[in-house]
Amino acid sequence: MKQLTGPVYFIAFLFLLSITSTASADETCMSPYMAKIVGQEDFVYVWTLGMEGLGDEQDKLVTVDVNPQSENYGKVVHTLSVGGRNEAHHSGLTDDRRYLWASGLDTSRIFIFDIHTDPAEPRLHKTIDDFVSRSGGVVGPHTSYAMPGRMLITGLSNDKDHGGITGMVEYTNDGEYIATYWMPTDGDLQGAAKSGSFADGYGYDVRALPRRNVLVTSSFTGWNNYMMDLGQMMADPEAMQRFGNTVVVWDLHKRQPKKVLDVPGAPLELRCAWGSRNNYCFTTTALTSKIWLIYEDDGGDWHAKPVADIGVAEQIPLPVDISISADDSLLWVDTWNDGMARVFDISDPHNAKEIYAEKIGAQINMLSQSWDGKRVYFTSSLLSNWDKRQAEEGEDLQYFKSYTWDGEKLTLQFSIDFLAAGLGMPHQMRFGSYALYAKNRPAGEDGAVSVAANY
Amino acid sequence: MAPYPWRPITERRCNRLTPAVLLAAGVFCLIPAETLHAQQPQHRHEAPAQILAPGYRVLEYEAPEPGTYQLPPLGRAGGGLVLDEAGRERPLNEFLGDKFVVLSFIFTSCNDVNGCPLATFVLGQLQQRLDADRRLKDQVRMVSLSFDPDFDTPQVMVEYGRKFSRNNYDWRFLTTASTERLQPLLRGFNQSVQKEYNEAGEYTGNISHILRVFLLDKASRVRNIYSVSFLHADTVINDIITLAMEGGDDGFGAAPQATAGAGEGAAGDGALSGLPALEIPENNPLTQEKILLGRQLFFDRRLSHNNTLSCAMCHIPEQGFTSQELSVAIGIEGRTLRRNAPTLYNVGFARVLFHDARENLLEQQVWTPLLARNEMANPSVGFVIDRLKSLPEYRGKFEQAFDGKGPGMETVGMALASYQRTLNSAGSAFDRWYYGGDKDALDEQARAGFGLFTGKARCVACHTVNRDYALFTDHALHNTGIGYLVSMGTPDDKVQVTVAPGTTLTVDRAFITLAGKPAPNDLGHYEITGDPDDRWKYRTPMLRNVALSAPYMHNGSLRTLREVVEFYNRGGIRNELLDPLVQPLGLSDAEMDSIVAFLNSLTGSNVDELVADALTQPVGNVTR
Repeated sequence: MKQLTGPVYFIAFLFLLSITSTASADETCMSPYMAKIVGQEDFVYVWTLGMEGLGDEQDKLVTVDVNPQSENYGKVVHTLSVGGRNEAHHSGLTDDRRYLWASGLDTSRIFIFDIHTDPAEPRLHKTIDDFVSRSGGVVGPHTSYAMPGRMLITGLSNDKDHGGITGMVEYTNDGEYIATYWMPTDGDLQGAAKSGSFADGYGYDVRALPRRNVLVTSSFTGWNNYMMDLGQMMADPEAMQRFGNTVVVWDLHKRQPKKVLDVPGAPLELRCAWGSRNNYCFTTTALTSKIWLIYEDDGGDWHAKPVADIGVAEQIPLPVDISISADDSLLWVDTWNDGMARVFDISDPHNAKEIYAEKIGAQINMLSQSWDGKRVYFTSSLLSNWDKRQAEEGEDLQYFKSYTWDGEKLTLQFSIDFLAAGLGMPHQMRFGSYALYAKNRPAGEDGAVSVAANY
Repeated sequence: MAPYPWRPITERRCNRLTPAVLLAAGVFCLIPAETLHAQQPQHRHEAPAQILAPGYRVLEYEAPEPGTYQLPPLGRAGGGLVLDEAGRERPLNEFLGDKFVVLSFIFTSCNDVNGCPLATFVLGQLQQRLDADRRLKDQVRMVSLSFDPDFDTPQVMVEYGRKFSRNNYDWRFLTTASTERLQPLLRGFNQSVQKEYNEAGEYTGNISHILRVFLLDKASRVRNIYSVSFLHADTVINDIITLAMEGGDDGFGAAPQATAGAGEGAAGDGALSGLPALEIPENNPLTQEKILLGRQLFFDRRLSHNNTLSCAMCHIPEQGFTSQELSVAIGIEGRTLRRNAPTLYNVGFARVLFHDARENLLEQQVWTPLLARNEMANPSVGFVIDRLKSLPEYRGKFEQAFDGKGPGMETVGMALASYQRTLNSAGSAFDRWYYGGDKDALDEQARAGFGLFTGKARCVACHTVNRDYALFTDHALHNTGIGYLVSMGTPDDKVQVTVAPGTTLTVDRAFITLAGKPAPNDLGHYEITGDPDDRWKYRTPMLRNVALSAPYMHNGSLRTLREVVEFYNRGGIRNELLDPLVQPLGLSDAEMDSIVAFLNSLTGSNVDELVADALTQPVGNVTR
C-alpha cells in the first residue's frame, strides 16, 4: 500500500462569495459556497444504481474507505439500500456538508443522507417523494448544488411529455420546497436574450460564479431519451433530435435567465474556474465531442466557443464527467465509450490541448480529484440503459478505481469490481471526512489525525 | 417598434367622414396641411409626403388562407362600463362573447385619414364581405367605441354610425359616460391615448393614439391586433373565418363537439361532420362523471408501478395523442417497446385495438398497458385498485360515476374507455368540402390529392371512405413489408446519426449494436393468431388528424407523410406475404405532393378544443 506524501492533515473551510487564488477544487468541482476537504479524504460515497439480476437489485449508497492510514483502506465499509431502481445518478452535499442529497432520474425521488453523525456509516435522513408535484411538473432531479442554506436542483424532464423541457428547483437544506425556475424557451424567454439559434428549455448541470452574480446551466435530454436503450435511441432519428443545444447564463441573485448561448450537441457537466480573475467555465458536448469555453468578455457580456476537440467525433467518444484543477491549469475529461481519462492543459482557456490519456476500463463516467490534485477516483456507469453489457477480455465493466496523479501519469492504487461485489453500477462520488465534523477516526485505527472544521 | 401612424392636425378638424367621401372629399379635407403617411414615425412639425394606408387599397399580397394558421390568444378583452346608443350604461361584456367581435377605438372628430377613419372604413368594407356569407355574418359584431366621452355623446355616436352602418348590420357605436369610465377600458386593451394641448396649454380637441383594432373570439379573448400598417378587410375576414374554423365552430358544416370538459354534448353521438354514429356499449353509457373520472385516470402517473408513467405520457395531447418525439414508445424504467404509440383520436370508432389487433373493446384494452411489464408494469390488478382506493383525489368519484361501485377492474376500464370515446375529431376541411358541400373548403391541390387517393393511388382500398362518413380504415390488417424488413432485412454497416442540428456523423452500426440490447422481434398479427399467413400484418390506421401523429407506420420508421406516400409509391417492401393491394403506383412528384396536401386537410376542426380540455386536467403525481 503506497504511503501518500507529507503529513496527513485535514482542513475544511467555507468559501464565501469572494474566491481568492488560494481558494478552492471533486473537491475541485463543488459549490464555492461549500466547505472543502483540502487534505486526505477518509471516505468516498458512491451513489450506485441497482441492477436487475444482481445482488438486491436496488439503488444504494456505497461507502468506500480511501484513507491509506486506515486498516479498511480500499474496502467497501458500508452500503445502504434505498428501495427500487430510481436511476441513481448525481448527488451533492449541502453547504455545511452535513447531508448528501442523492437523486433518481427516473422516479424523481431524492434521498437525503446524514453523513455527519457517523461519516463511516451514512444513514437515510429523509426521502423527498413529491418532487414532481411540488415543483409543478419537473421530472428527473439531476444536480444537487449547494447554495447558502439551500439546495438548487436541476431537472432533466417534465411530467407532461417526458421531453427535455424542464426547470430548476430550489429547496431549503431541510428539504422544504422553495421555488421552481423554468428554463427559458423560444415560447417564453423570460426576458433572456437569445444569442443564437436555440432556446430549447432543456436542463442538466448548474454552477455558480458568485462574484460575477452568475449562474450557468447546461442542457441534456428528456426522460424519453435518457431512459431509452442507447442503441435504440441512436437508431431513432426522432429521438436524436431531442438533445439540448444551449447553455444559459442566469442572474444568480434574481434567478432569472439573462442570455441563452448556442452550444450544440448536449453540453453536460459545467466547471467554473476558481481564479479571481478567471471569469469563465468549461463544458463538454457529449454528442459533438468538444470542449466549450463559456466566458465573460471585458464588457461583461457572456459568450460560448469551442476550444478543443475530444477524440474523434465519428467514434462517438461521448465525453461525460470533467474536473478542473484547483489552479485552473488542467481539465480532466472522461470519454465514456472508449473508457479513457484525458487531461487537457487549459492554462490558455481559449486554446485547450490534450496532454495525457489513459484507458481506465471498458467504459468510464465520473471522476473526482482531491483538492491537491494528487488523488483521482473513477467510476464506470453512465445510465442504466446506456451502459455496456459486456467488456473486452481484461477490461473492467463496472468499477470504482483509485489512482494517484504525479503531474505526469496516473498510477492505480486499488480497484473494486462492483459486479463481483453484487453492488450494481457505480455513479457519482462525493468525499467524506471526519475532520469536517470535529470528529476523530474511532480509536483502534491508525493514522487518525484531524483538525476540526471551523465555520 | 410599432409605427406611429396617427398624426394629429391641430389647425383643422375634419368631422363626419364617411367611407364614400374619404377617398375623395374626406382626403382633401385633410390634405391642405399635409399629405398622408402610413408607415414612418414622424415629428409633429414635419410635413412629409403621406400615402393612404394599405387598408384603403387592394391588398398587395394574398391574405393567408383561412385555417392555415393559428391565432393564439393574446389575453382577455378588457372590461368596463359603456353607454349604448340609447344612453344606457352597460358592461362592455354584454357586447362580447356571443359572436366574433371586431372592436375599434375611435373618436368621431378624428381627423387623420390613416387613423380612426381608416378603422371605420375597414369595418365598412367588412360589412360588404360579410354580406356575401350569411352564415358568417350572423356570427360577427363590430364595435366602434369612442375614447372621447366629452364630445362623443350617445347621440353623436348614433349620428356617426348612421353614416356607415347598413342594413341593420350588427355594428355598435358605443361611448362612455366619462373619462373615469373610459380608463379601465383603455387599460384593459392596453390602448394608450393622450389628449393634445397647444402651447397655451389649451386642449386642442385632438387625441393622439396608436391605431389598434382588436379581433375577439367568442370567449372574449383577443386573437389579433391590427395596426395601421396591416389593417385590411381581407386580412380581418380571413382571421374571422380562421377562428370560425377552429374548435368546430358551427356555420361551416361542423356540428358542436363532444368533449369531456365542455360538460355538454358528452353523449359522444358522433354528430361531428364526417363521422358515423359512435357505438357505445350498452353497459357503459357515456356520462359526464365517467368521462371526467377517466380523464383524471388518464393523466395520473401513479397508475404505473413506480409513479412515473400515465397514459398521457405516451399519448400526449399536444402531440396528437401520440408521441411525436419517439419512433417507438418507451416503457417503465426505459424498457424497450416495439411499436409506435398509436394516436387516440377517434379510437372510439376502432373495431380492433393495438397495432396487432389483439383487443376489441376499450374497456378491456386499458388493462394491457397497465399490467405489461415493459409499459406501466403494475404487478397486479389488485395493486392498481388498492392504490386508487388509497388516493384521496379519487375518494367517492368511482362511487358517484358507477352507481355506488368503487374502484375495480370493471370500473377503471369503463372510466378510461369513456374518456377515450370523447376524443373524436372531424369537421376538417375535407369534411366541409366532401360532406358539407362547401366547394371552397378544399384547395385544388388537395382536391386532386383526394382524386388520386380514391383513384390511381388506390389508398382508399384500405383507408375506406363511405358515402356519409369516413374513418379511413377497413378495420383490417395488412402486410406492407415494414415489419418483414425489420425481422428479415440486413441493415447497412454504417448508420447516419444526426448528433446536433447540422451535424450528421457516419457511425459504425457495430457501435449501435454494442450499445444497446437487441430489440425484441415483432411478428405482427401472427403473434395473436399463430397463423403463419398473418406474419407482419398490422392494423390499417385511421387517417383523421394524420398530420398530427408523426412518425408513421407501426414502428414509427417513416418520419413524414411524404415518406409514407413515397413508400407506397415504391410498392412497399417485397416479401412473400406482401398484401396484393400494395403495388408500385407510378405517381409523379406533383401527384405525391397532392396526396400529402389531401392528408393534411384531414385535421379536425376541434383539435384545439380537445387539447385544451386535456390540459385542464392536473397531472396526478405523488404527494406527501
